[in-house]
Amino acid sequence: MFMLAMRSVRRRPGRFAGTLLSAFLGAVITMAFNSMHDTAGGAGVDDSSAETLGLSGGVVGGYSTLLVFFAVASTLTVNVRQRTDEISLLRSTGATPAQIKRMVTGEAAVIALVAAILAIVPAMLAGNALLEMFKDTDQVAAGVDYVFGPIALGAGFGITLLASAGAAYLAVRRATRAAAGERAPRARMRTIGGTLALLAGIGGISSTFAMEGDEPVLMMGPAYGAILLSVGFAAFSTGLLRALLVLVARPLGLLTGGSGYLAVNALRRRAEHQAGILMPLILFTGIGFATLCIQAVESAAIDASGLVKSVEDKNVETLNTIVVGIIVAFCCVMLINSLYAATSYRVKEFGGQRLAGATPRQVVGGVGVEAALLTVTGVLFGTLAGYAGLLAFVSVRTGAEMPGSGPLIWAGIVVVGAAATMLTTLLTARRALRVPAVVAVA
Amino acid sequence: MFRHERAPGSAPGPEALRLVKVSKTYGTAENAVTALDDVTLSLPAGSFTAVMGPSGSGKSTLLQCAAGLDRPDQGIVVVDGAEMTAGGEAELTKFRRSRIGFVFQQYNLLPTLTVLQNTLLPFKLARRRPDRAGAREILGRVGLGDRLGHYPDELSGGQRQRAAIARALVTRPSVIFADEPTGALDLRSAREVLALLRDAVRTHGRTVVMVTHDPVAASYADAVVFLADGRLAGWMHAPTADAVAERLAHLGDTVDAEV
Repeated sequence: MFMLAMRSVRRRPGRFAGTLLSAFLGAVITMAFNSMHDTAGGAGVDDSSAETLGLSGGVVGGYSTLLVFFAVASTLTVNVRQRTDEISLLRSTGATPAQIKRMVTGEAAVIALVAAILAIVPAMLAGNALLEMFKDTDQVAAGVDYVFGPIALGAGFGITLLASAGAAYLAVRRATRAAAGERAPRARMRTIGGTLALLAGIGGISSTFAMEGDEPVLMMGPAYGAILLSVGFAAFSTGLLRALLVLVARPLGLLTGGSGYLAVNALRRRAEHQAGILMPLILFTGIGFATLCIQAVESAAIDASGLVKSVEDKNVETLNTIVVGIIVAFCCVMLINSLYAATSYRVKEFGGQRLAGATPRQVVGGVGVEAALLTVTGVLFGTLAGYAGLLAFVSVRTGAEMPGSGPLIWAGIVVVGAAATMLTTLLTARRALRVPAVVAVA
Repeated sequence: MFRHERAPGSAPGPEALRLVKVSKTYGTAENAVTALDDVTLSLPAGSFTAVMGPSGSGKSTLLQCAAGLDRPDQGIVVVDGAEMTAGGEAELTKFRRSRIGFVFQQYNLLPTLTVLQNTLLPFKLARRRPDRAGAREILGRVGLGDRLGHYPDELSGGQRQRAAIARALVTRPSVIFADEPTGALDLRSAREVLALLRDAVRTHGRTVVMVTHDPVAASYADAVVFLADGRLAGWMHAPTADAVAERLAHLGDTVDAEV
């Protein structure tokens, strides 16, 4: 089975591009930040510098494990789903579920290994740049030398390989179970998980009010609360999408004709399948909006109080910016990947629409309307989650007011999210239409 | 039984479909495959014609070129007096909408629409006022009157194909093309579907062109056109299943003699 895995990677490198990219990004981040541990362990590093380095390595390193896992899991789920035919062919030729699992997990491990090797040099450069930034902001003493050592390498390879193989295992297990005709109890799990996330999110945001207005850790409550709220909303997003569809079905049909009709009906019938797209979109909007705005409020409040930013403040600010940047980048990769897969998966459906008398413009138009509806739903929920966190922070933080740059930050996030959604969907749909309709439905 | 005594290409009176010297080649210069070779034929309005031939004889290509799903390299296609122009896909789609109905082997119903919505889809796409009463009436006629709100995946293969026939009929097209409409059906469902197609011709005056490899299916038609190696290889009126099977078995012998 491992030979088969190697062969399938070698013959079809293209379809592993999404997995490779997520694993590569994850490996770069993991290695770059874990090299801070190596650097901290170097000779003659003072305590304060070591603490900054250790903190950033620990926090971002932890985050990145989760992110590699989610991103690789998302790309692999898509990869496995696209290969349903291949997997059922293997089943009918006598492969056991265990063999299929080994094949897909093996592929993922090979991809992860390649990604980790490719990540070494970029991670060294990124780690060095990170250290320089810490030095420039006086968070780390100028004399500290950059070290890329065993912790960076070990964590980078270990986390990337384990997260990829684990994600692959879960993805293929779901697929082989579905192929064997078992129904996964996903809806209930999602409801439970979503409810828990919402409750924890409300708790996190409420905890803000229990704190003093000038505690440095005040940001944690609302920021994590907003993240958890986003996760919870994402779990229930398909329900809201349905509600939205009921409202807009008629006006949209009148406004956009055949395209809107196709879009509304396709979404209504498949609302539950849109969770994979809404999830990264809501996380992207919610996390980006909450963290960036909260940080803006915090900085303004410190400036207003006339104090000089302490090393700790700077650390928090740097880490916030970096963490948000990473999360947002990963969400964007996940969003694009899920959208690309979901749309390219629909070649047959588009063929059916064309044979039923839809012009290419109507097909692409329908997909565009779908993407727009998804964007509205995702942005709405993400904004709600982010705004809850921001509101709590502003009302508790001493000397804080709503950031003037808030609407601008929000608009920037929405523009990026909407552009990623619309462009990916429309370009993929356009490509899917190059196949003649008769061939597409065969 | 209703008979066509006229030979193809010389049909007087109203003509539903005409192909003149239609050729189609696939592939590049070195390994080109001629799927259709100079085919000329004419079908009168209100006729039910089966197109038969062995695999690779070009019968699917003939149907796709005649129905505006593919563009012939040479020759002209005329549907109900209007010549199919060489345009983009959008132009061909608009041409098909008002003149052509389809029935496919794999039904080709949209999974996200109910039976009634699928039947009304051609109107929605063409931005015409949907003929709901007409759609309900036709769906009742094909035996789906109590299945209007069902989705395709809740129907049997025979029911899906009947829904597809209803969709093809609802816009009253000049020609209905059916590509192996019974290929995925059990015997009883196949008989029902063929009877519906024949009924569309007899009772409602539609014109049906059906590609099939099944002699029994072909026997429901008024006439059978045989194809071999992309050329017309014969013509049979008032076909019976046995006669068609016999003719198919000896098609290779007659290719040169009949054209």
